[in-house]
Amino acid sequence: MIEIKNVTKKYGETVALDNVSFNVEDGVIFAFIGHNGAGKTTLIKSIVGIHDIDSGEILIDGLSIKDNPVECKKIMAFVPDNPELYEHMKAIDFINFICDMYDVSYETREKNITRYAKLFEIEKNLNDPISSFSHGMKQKIALISALAHDPKVLIMDEPFVGLDPKAVFDVKEVMNEMIKEGKIIFFSTHILDVAEKLCSRVAIIKNGKIIKTGSMKDIKGDKSLEKVFLELEG
Amino acid sequence: MNKIFSLIKVSLSHDMTILNIKTKKKSFFSKILLPLIILLYIMFVFGFYAERLIRVLKPVHLEFVMLTLFALGMSIITLIEGIYKSSSLLFNCKDDNLLLSLPIKRGTVLFIRILKFYIFELLYNSLFLLPAIGVYAYFVNPAWTFYLSSVLALLFLPIVPIILSCVIGFIVSYFSSRFKGKNVFETIFTVLFLLLVIFISYRMEGFVSNLAQKAMSLNDIITRVYYPVGAYISLITSFKWTTLVLFTLIHLVIFALTIFILGRMYFRVNSGAKRVLIKHNNKKYLIKKSSQGKALIKKEAKKFFLTPVFITNAGFGLVLFLIACVVGSLRFDSLISTILKENPEFNSNIIKSIIPLIMFGLVSFTAFLTSITSSMISLEGKSFNLLKTFPIKPIKIIYYKIVTALLIMVIPILLGDIFIFIKFKFDIISIVLILIASFLLPLVSEMIGIIINLKYPKMDATNDTEVVKQSMSSLVSTFIGLGLVALVIVLGVIMAIHKVSYNLIMLLFIIFFALVAGLLVLLLHKTCDKNFNDIMV
Repeated sequence: MIEIKNVTKKYGETVALDNVSFNVEDGVIFAFIGHNGAGKTTLIKSIVGIHDIDSGEILIDGLSIKDNPVECKKIMAFVPDNPELYEHMKAIDFINFICDMYDVSYETREKNITRYAKLFEIEKNLNDPISSFSHGMKQKIALISALAHDPKVLIMDEPFVGLDPKAVFDVKEVMNEMIKEGKIIFFSTHILDVAEKLCSRVAIIKNGKIIKTGSMKDIKGDKSLEKVFLELEG
Repeated sequence: MNKIFSLIKVSLSHDMTILNIKTKKKSFFSKILLPLIILLYIMFVFGFYAERLIRVLKPVHLEFVMLTLFALGMSIITLIEGIYKSSSLLFNCKDDNLLLSLPIKRGTVLFIRILKFYIFELLYNSLFLLPAIGVYAYFVNPAWTFYLSSVLALLFLPIVPIILSCVIGFIVSYFSSRFKGKNVFETIFTVLFLLLVIFISYRMEGFVSNLAQKAMSLNDIITRVYYPVGAYISLITSFKWTTLVLFTLIHLVIFALTIFILGRMYFRVNSGAKRVLIKHNNKKYLIKKSSQGKALIKKEAKKFFLTPVFITNAGFGLVLFLIACVVGSLRFDSLISTILKENPEFNSNIIKSIIPLIMFGLVSFTAFLTSITSSMISLEGKSFNLLKTFPIKPIKIIYYKIVTALLIMVIPILLGDIFIFIKFKFDIISIVLILIASFLLPLVSEMIGIIINLKYPKMDATNDTEVVKQSMSSLVSTFIGLGLVALVIVLGVIMAIHKVSYNLIMLLFIIFFALVAGLLVLLLHKTCDKNFNDIMV
């Protein structure tokens, strides 16, 4: 479970996250939505340990990301909105490198890399340098690297941007499979249709504050998520 | 025209952030005092050299020779620096997509890039030339035309070396873009050009000294060899408006002509330099497992060897060290006979006995002036966030960066040591002390580099040259390195004069630097996590 307790983060005088609290239970796909600059990426980067928080606590499976960053990161994977990979490496070298960082066994990495490379139809490009890749191809490499170590918690920032329709479908399939195994998927998105269909829980953030959180059913009621979101934002 | 001014403003405000350090706490020390101390220190050192030189030249009324030497020296340094900066500054910019999509002429983009290059070199040259000009003015009390000529010289002297290095950068990028491993070829071509310039400079020294016996004055020689410096000196010694106009026009025409000619080929070469040649092979990809440490070292080493400006900047000193050791051991006998001929008070035994100390000095010089780690954090750029997500403690990541830098540095230093040991047959204590120094001094240097880079990272550079050559981190590391080299030389000479045994001198330095290394380890452990996490990309 991810527990976000009274998290506040400031950039100078600007409050990016203002006393944010909510939980993400095991076995759910959780959508995190909000307008540009609302604080989505800041919270995501705080959860994965890229940013420190000024106050509050973030617990991953009961462990604080601040006090036990290494243990927390071992069970997490992060796919950023704009994957900054090591351009000087070949794709397979990059994936192997990430697996080495997570100390993934040879058997696990062989199984996962083969599976996801085939799924995302990028097998033939794994020996090519990343610098030659398009945004979508880099996104696929970032996804394979993230999934290669069987993370219990998968955090993604705008995961569908730049992916082709088939890859979007495949990612959704992978997400559904993962929650069946009791894993957590937490992602931000602007594509509200996808969030509505895919996620069982949702949080809406505005100006650094959570203005609504709960099950998708409770939040949208009979309306569409898009309508609810626009009403809340208005 | 407004567009050009806006572009220049934006480019410069981004690139010239060397003195505008982004720290959480905008302290007076880091924002103003530290850059000011560094600038004043550099100017003081060069002013001191200029003053020493002019005192020697004053009795024979050849004060202007000091300016000749400074101007020529700066031109050569600008050329050498320019050669390994130009490829990266002109052809490996991350803002290409933005600039090329704007409604501006393509030639303007090249103009802005060369102008940026010029302004940076102008600032650098000013640090060295202004003190010399000031010292000259103090000693000679010249007419107002001296100040006019000097201001123009300050503005124009960097132009020819910059243009030459841009042309070389063009050639290097043009040829290297035709190879699959273009970064490797770019590094090789750049090093070859650098060695060529150094070789020519070295040959020119002999040429100048031969001519000096025949020519009426050094001024005549320089005028014949290198027009810009010659014209400047001629303006100082006998001011003529025609010379001034010609001096100005020649530089402006050269600059404009270069932009025009290179501008016609720039985008073909630039897109070639960016093209990644892919060999689509059906070879099955290789899944392999390494330890965290091995993988991190491999990643860092790959980054080093595939970043031309990084390898040329750091590797060049190591190559020169190796050359010095090899040439020193192979040509020692002829060198010693030359020294004995010119200094009959020496004897070969005295010279031979001091070689361990010279070797120690050479190792310190190489170690302290080669800081690989001072750019390693900044070169991560936007991928730094990736490091932050790894389940590894920051200190471990930092240690592997240091280990990689040490591996790169220590191997050539040890090779140089072996050449010297074979030739000179040192006693065992000297050998052990030099071997310890060959590990310890690079360690101190690299620890200083990484601590400074963690404190002053530059994560938003538009090209690698900005990080390696124009960042606060590389500048501070270089000057700390210079300070340590000066410390070793000054204290070493003082102790040698007081007849302290050479082995004892080396031992004392080793103890001192071992203590420094210990303190640096403590400092790194204390500050690493905070500084690492504070870096925002």
